[in-house]
Amino acid sequence: MKEISDFVTQFNANMPLAKNSIIKNRNRYYMLTKTLKNQAPKGFFYAGAYLGAVKGTSFFPSFLLLEMITKGKANKMVVDKKTAWLFICGRDIFQQGILEQNNLKKGDYTLIMNEHNECLGFGKIMVNLRGPPDSNKVAIKNILDIGDFLRREKRQSRPKQRSGNLQDKDRAPRRFNRK
Amino acid sequence: MSSKQFFINRYKKLGWSYEQVRLKRAIRINTMNSNKDTVVTRLESLGIVLEKIPFLEDGYWISKSKFSVGATAEYLLGLYSIQEAAAQIPATLFNELKDKMVLDVCASPGGKTVQLANIMDNSGVIIALELKPRKMFALTNQLERNRVTNTAVYNMDAREASKLNMNFDCVILDVPCSGNPITDRDWFNKRTMEDVLRNARRQRQILTEAAKVTKDGGEIVYATCSMEPEENEFNIDWAIRKLPLKVEQIKCYGEKGLTNVFGKELDRSIEKCKRIWPNPTQGFFVCKLKKQVSN
Repeated sequence: MKEISDFVTQFNANMPLAKNSIIKNRNRYYMLTKTLKNQAPKGFFYAGAYLGAVKGTSFFPSFLLLEMITKGKANKMVVDKKTAWLFICGRDIFQQGILEQNNLKKGDYTLIMNEHNECLGFGKIMVNLRGPPDSNKVAIKNILDIGDFLRREKRQSRPKQRSGNLQDKDRAPRRFNRK
Repeated sequence: MSSKQFFINRYKKLGWSYEQVRLKRAIRINTMNSNKDTVVTRLESLGIVLEKIPFLEDGYWISKSKFSVGATAEYLLGLYSIQEAAAQIPATLFNELKDKMVLDVCASPGGKTVQLANIMDNSGVIIALELKPRKMFALTNQLERNRVTNTAVYNMDAREASKLNMNFDCVILDVPCSGNPITDRDWFNKRTMEDVLRNARRQRQILTEAAKVTKDGGEIVYATCSMEPEENEFNIDWAIRKLPLKVEQIKCYGEKGLTNVFGKELDRSIEKCKRIWPNPTQGFFVCKLKKQVSN
C-alpha cells in the first residue's frame, strides 16, 4: 500500500485510496469492487483493477492507476498531437510540444495527456519550463507510456535467449525508481 | 483422396462450396471507454476508412488503412478492440448481463471477456478461465488496456470449473476447436478427422462442466470457429439429450443450424442455432442453451 501512496504523492495528487478494497497478490496490487471481493474465490491470477507491481525497491504503476490519478488534482501536462504520438513511441518530450501545464517545476513528475485529455503515461521534468524553449534539450523524460502494451507483447513473444547473451535493458520493463 | 478434398466434399454435402475468402479486418468499439461517434471520427481523421457491420451494434470493418489498426493511440487507450466480425456475435446473445455472474471459459486472448465487460459496463462479475499459462499474459494485458475492472482471471481448466464452487447466470463457451481454413491457410495440411473428433470429445466435457455450474434458468452461449458438424450440431444434439439444457431461439447473422447431417436426423430445435459460412466473416457456429429448472 505504501508503494502506491508514495507513487501517487509524487504527482502532488490527492487521491484517497480505499484501503479495504486493495489486495496484494504476490507482488501485484489490485483494487476490487465490493461484488468482486465477495464473489471471486482466492487463488486468482489477476482481478479487478490492476494498480501496479513491486519489484525490489521499485514500483511499476499500471495505466489504470495513472488514469485514476488524472481524475483529481495532479501534475498534468497536455501535449500536441505529434508530440503525443512520439511519446507513445517511447520518445522524450521537447518544450515546443507542450500545450498546457499547471505551474510544474524542474524535477517534478507529471502525467502526460493528449488533446482529448486522455493519459498517455508519465515523465520527469528535466528543465525549467518557465524559460525560453530550447529545441536541443529534452524537457520531459519519458518514464512510461501506453506504447508499453505493444512492447510487452513483443517481449513475451521473443524467444528466450541465454542470459549471457541478453542485455538486462532488453528484458526488464522500464524502471521507475522512486528515489 | 487428399485431406483437402475430403473436407471440401464434406462442406459440399453440408451445402457450402469451398472458396478461399479474403477475411475483412474488423474492430469493435468499446463504448464503456468512449462515445462511438467520437472514436469513428478520430479513426477517420487518421485516414482509416470504416464500414459499419450491418449485423453488429458496435462492429466496423476496416475498408482501408495504411497502417496496422493495432498501433494507434486509440487502440492503446482501449477505445476499440480488434475482433473478427463473427467472433463479436456470441457475447451479444445473452438476454441480460448487467450485474450478473458470468463465466468465460478458455478466455484468452480476451476479446470476448472485454466485450462482456463492455456490455456489463464493468458491473457484476466475470470469472475468466484460461488453462495455458503462456496465454494468461495476453489476456491480462488486454484487460488492463481496455480498463476492465469486473473480472477475475484463474489459471484453470474449463473442465474443472465446478472446483470454484460458484454458480453463474451466464456462461460463454468459446471452446477450443479445429478452426477453419479461412483463418488458417495451412489448415487442410494439418487437420484430420481424428483432430475433429478429439476436439468434439473435449467440447462435450466442457459443456458437461458448464451445465453443472450454470444456475437453473441460466444461459450458456456455445461457439466455435469450426465448420465441422461434429463440433457443432452433433455436440448440441448430444447436449440436449444428455444434459438439462434446451436450445433457445437467437436473432443474429447466420443460417439455421443443420438438422440433417450426412443422413443423420438431429433434434429439430437445432435449427435455432446459427451456422455462419465464410464470406465476409470466418466460418462460425453459435448457439444459446438454457438450463432447465430442476424439480
